[in-house]
Amino acid sequence: MATVLIENLTKIYPPTITYPHRVQALGGVNMSVTGNVFVAVLGPSGSGKTTLLNIVAGVETPTSGSVRAVQDGVPAQVGYVFQEPRLLPWRTVLNNMLYVQDRKSDRSRREAEFYLTMVGLNEVAHLYPSQLSAGMQQRVGIARAFLVNPDILLMDEPFSHMDALTGRSLREYLQRVWLHTRKTALFVTHDVSEAVELADRIVMLRPGGVVFDDIPVNLPRPRHPDDPAVRAVEGEVLRRFDSMEAAVRFGAQAG
Amino acid sequence: MLTVPSVTPDAISELSAREMRRAMARRWLFRFSVLIGWVAFIVVWYFFSRVVFNPRQLPEPHVVAAESWTIITEQDFRTHMQASLFRVLAGFLLAAVVSCGLGWLIAYNAWWRTLLRTIVQFTVSTPIVALAILTLVVFGVSSLGPVITTAVVATPYIMMNVAQGLTGVDRRLIVMSESFGRTRSQIITGVLLPSSLISVLAGARLAFAVAWRMELLTEIFAASEGVGFQIRRSFESYDVRGMIAWTVLYIAVMLIFENLVFRQIERRLQGRTA
Repeated sequence: MATVLIENLTKIYPPTITYPHRVQALGGVNMSVTGNVFVAVLGPSGSGKTTLLNIVAGVETPTSGSVRAVQDGVPAQVGYVFQEPRLLPWRTVLNNMLYVQDRKSDRSRREAEFYLTMVGLNEVAHLYPSQLSAGMQQRVGIARAFLVNPDILLMDEPFSHMDALTGRSLREYLQRVWLHTRKTALFVTHDVSEAVELADRIVMLRPGGVVFDDIPVNLPRPRHPDDPAVRAVEGEVLRRFDSMEAAVRFGAQAG
Repeated sequence: MLTVPSVTPDAISELSAREMRRAMARRWLFRFSVLIGWVAFIVVWYFFSRVVFNPRQLPEPHVVAAESWTIITEQDFRTHMQASLFRVLAGFLLAAVVSCGLGWLIAYNAWWRTLLRTIVQFTVSTPIVALAILTLVVFGVSSLGPVITTAVVATPYIMMNVAQGLTGVDRRLIVMSESFGRTRSQIITGVLLPSSLISVLAGARLAFAVAWRMELLTEIFAASEGVGFQIRRSFESYDVRGMIAWTVLYIAVMLIFENLVFRQIERRLQGRTA
């Protein structure tokens, strides 16, 4: 069983020539994620969501605190879906998939084709990224993350650059693949309806990178954004989001 | 109410056929204009040869063409052209190998960057005639001199482009690779080298053009065989026809090489790095 244990995680960026001030991205985050759950990390810009994910992925180091991402006691394999697809432009779709695999065998090729089929892209496996639409490229990004058979799946606002319709269809693809694999997932977003539609639990971060709230979402899957139950939870999350913003504003005024 | 005009498959195919015909016409027009340019060049050459100078000072195009054919059919042509080609390629390959290492240092090490940029400025701004004479002084009349000098002159162009290519690599692709647990060597071969390829190729093309010129000039001063040597011999016997014919043949071989190698590679890369 995969576990992500985050304890008192702090990240402070030092001053730079262009911005001569320290920036606190995370201010002591504590949270844990265990088992086959889909957790959404929700917060406004500047709340350290991406930083949190990068530290869990191991591509950034924390200033203090610790992150343990393990699967049955050993370091977990991570799959990452970024804001932009981050595909290698000189490789075909299929070769982009195979790039993240250690073994280049017939089996890994079949697995790549399987996940491409899951996101409806097996027909374009031989094309280059520049020949695909932005939505199709992001679907490749999703398929690639699942291909490494990750213990933990990290997603950093993967639909934020998409138009509403594309974003909606991508969410459906993601739900479909996730329901098939049931990987432990950490999904960063600033979109409340996206979080409610996809997550089992919503962790709200406030600016400065502090956990403000932790809301369970007990709704059956697959979910649809027009479902009244989904809308009701969305309303509740929005209410808490507003109270967080009010608290932040009040804190700023008091300070 | 919005009405959408109906578009039949026949209309679409007729439209695309018309577009195709227009594209073909544009292509032929372009080729024809290039041909006109060449004809104009030859007319101007005749004019200068007959009116401005005299045919002994500047031989007419058909005389140069006949002389070129005579040179090609002689046994000497292969020997001298091969010697020149070997030196250009050897110098260029030496420059390419050295440049990759130095370009890497410029991209990732501030101390080397400062040092090598100064050396590059010095090398690029030194007149190539001065370098050719220096080659004669240092190496004497040998094959090594032109090779080394060609490499020295070509190196800065490739080196700076390698450095530019490496520093211009999309950092996000490296982060992506790291997040998927790719090793350092996998990132180098999978991301760094392919993404800097276009920039390296541009530098290599420029360096190759410079290498041809440098090699020819060095041969004129410091070689006992090669096209440059033949041009010098023609000059010494006031054989303007031979000088121009050898130069034209040298340029022709250079263009063929350029088209066969660099343009083909560029064509293969087009569209894949967008």
